[in-house]
Amino acid sequence: MRLPAMAKLQFTLFFVLFLTIQTLSASVDTISSDIKLKNVDRTVDISTQLVKVVSKIVLENSGKSSVKHFLFAVEEAAKNNLAFIGAKDSNSKDLRLAETTVKGYDYVKFWRVELKEPLNAGATVNVVVETVFTKALQPYPTAITQQEDQFVKYVGNLYTYSPYYTSTQKTSVILNTKTVESFTKVKPFSQVDGTIIYGPYANVGPFTEKELSIHYKNNSPFLTVTRVERLIEVSHWGNIAIEEVIEIEHTGAKLKGPFSRYDYQQDHHSGPASVRAYKTLLPASASDVYYRDTNGNISTSNMKVKKDSVELDLRPRYPLFGGWRTHYTLGYNVPSYEYLYHSGNEYLLKMRSIDHIFDDMQVDELVTKIILPEGSTGIKLNIPYSVTRLPDSLHFTYLDTKGRPVISFIKKNIVENHIQDFQIRYTFPRLLMLQEPLLVVGFLYTLFLCVIIYVRLDFSIHKSEHKD
Amino acid sequence: MSLEIESMIRYTSPINPAVFPHLTFLLLGIGIFFTAWFFVYEVTSTKASRDMFKELLLSLVAALFSGFGILFLLLWVGIYV
Repeated sequence: MRLPAMAKLQFTLFFVLFLTIQTLSASVDTISSDIKLKNVDRTVDISTQLVKVVSKIVLENSGKSSVKHFLFAVEEAAKNNLAFIGAKDSNSKDLRLAETTVKGYDYVKFWRVELKEPLNAGATVNVVVETVFTKALQPYPTAITQQEDQFVKYVGNLYTYSPYYTSTQKTSVILNTKTVESFTKVKPFSQVDGTIIYGPYANVGPFTEKELSIHYKNNSPFLTVTRVERLIEVSHWGNIAIEEVIEIEHTGAKLKGPFSRYDYQQDHHSGPASVRAYKTLLPASASDVYYRDTNGNISTSNMKVKKDSVELDLRPRYPLFGGWRTHYTLGYNVPSYEYLYHSGNEYLLKMRSIDHIFDDMQVDELVTKIILPEGSTGIKLNIPYSVTRLPDSLHFTYLDTKGRPVISFIKKNIVENHIQDFQIRYTFPRLLMLQEPLLVVGFLYTLFLCVIIYVRLDFSIHKSEHKD
Repeated sequence: MSLEIESMIRYTSPINPAVFPHLTFLLLGIGIFFTAWFFVYEVTSTKASRDMFKELLLSLVAALFSGFGILFLLLWVGIYV
């Protein structure tokens, strides 16, 4: 390929510019030796299918100058299971987090946590960091019979994983069961009811790892939503229709041997690891709810209208054992005034990108599609966390001519903490609402005009003998 | 500069969904009446007695009322177009 000299120069310039932007965006941090963790109080909740870690950190600046941010690290073994991370200060205000890297520690995942106010030399600050991991609990044994309890194994880090020196730390592991097969014993530790407390441990160096392994009974529902497609259709006639197509799989210990429906019905303790039913919470204004699959309506479900939500008690057609899956559609309507705002022709839709499916849910893949009214322009999407935006498409339904714009995005590995609002702004000329009725009017009028023309045509073979 | 959510007001339908059934009956009733009148006129009038203007007017009124009536029927039954 031969380029003219000028074009070559331009190309080089752009390339250099591109490289500069690239290096600027991939931020690299250094580990400050001034920061120390005075105390870390860690709570690891493994009583459900998720691993929820809440670290209460007392941060100390032992240096000479003030510090504006600190680094939070996630060890190599756990970084691929991380679904959510959030940080709060002592007033429960959210702190800004940004993913970052540190030279020489490519295998560790780092987050830079921006403090609200710079931390002066010698001062301390309290920060709470919450992390949620999915698929971190492995069923062990991997297959059980119908009558057996489910045991899982948790493997984590005994110490708080941090790039800084930690003075004292304590870890409480919440199991919610006394049936523990085995657990790591590093003194001092104590087992109280359904909790194992490790520590306090003093003076732990940066990046210290020591295996913490707990093998215990966990019969909480191990349900994974392998895929959910959420369709939001906005109508300016005062309604927002929501439909979710959900695929669920029981990802706990697999069912070994036969399944006896008789035993299952007779004895309520049968199948302790199976899932009979679960609760889905819908917005309080939800109406016209339907729950069906390819066979039609699933009648074994109940709906309770509560003060602040609509509670659905969904019972699949069969209980879910390890490795079993189900697939259904759930839909409902909500009035537009709950989520749609406007000022003149400017509209703003503020809705949840995913809603509650069941408590402590884990979702592998979410596809959210938002169908806006026909003729909407200037669409801008705003989401609090990163998603992969899919190319915009068109949707054709009743009384459409050129199609409704569809905005869609994908997000993988989702937990309850991701139930947050997205915002979509768009412009819609109000007069365009008349397009739909006028389409019907036009169609009918054409029909009548055809009749008017038809009665004027003469199809008779012979001329009528007497004049009308 | 885009507007902030605080300065916007909640969007409600220009027509209260509670009156959809009433509007359907009213508009579709008038629409069917004019449609019937139009067809009766078409089949009973002769070449000489036909009035082009009356035909067009009748059909227009019939189309207008039926069209809006059908729209509200759709909205009433839950097809939010």
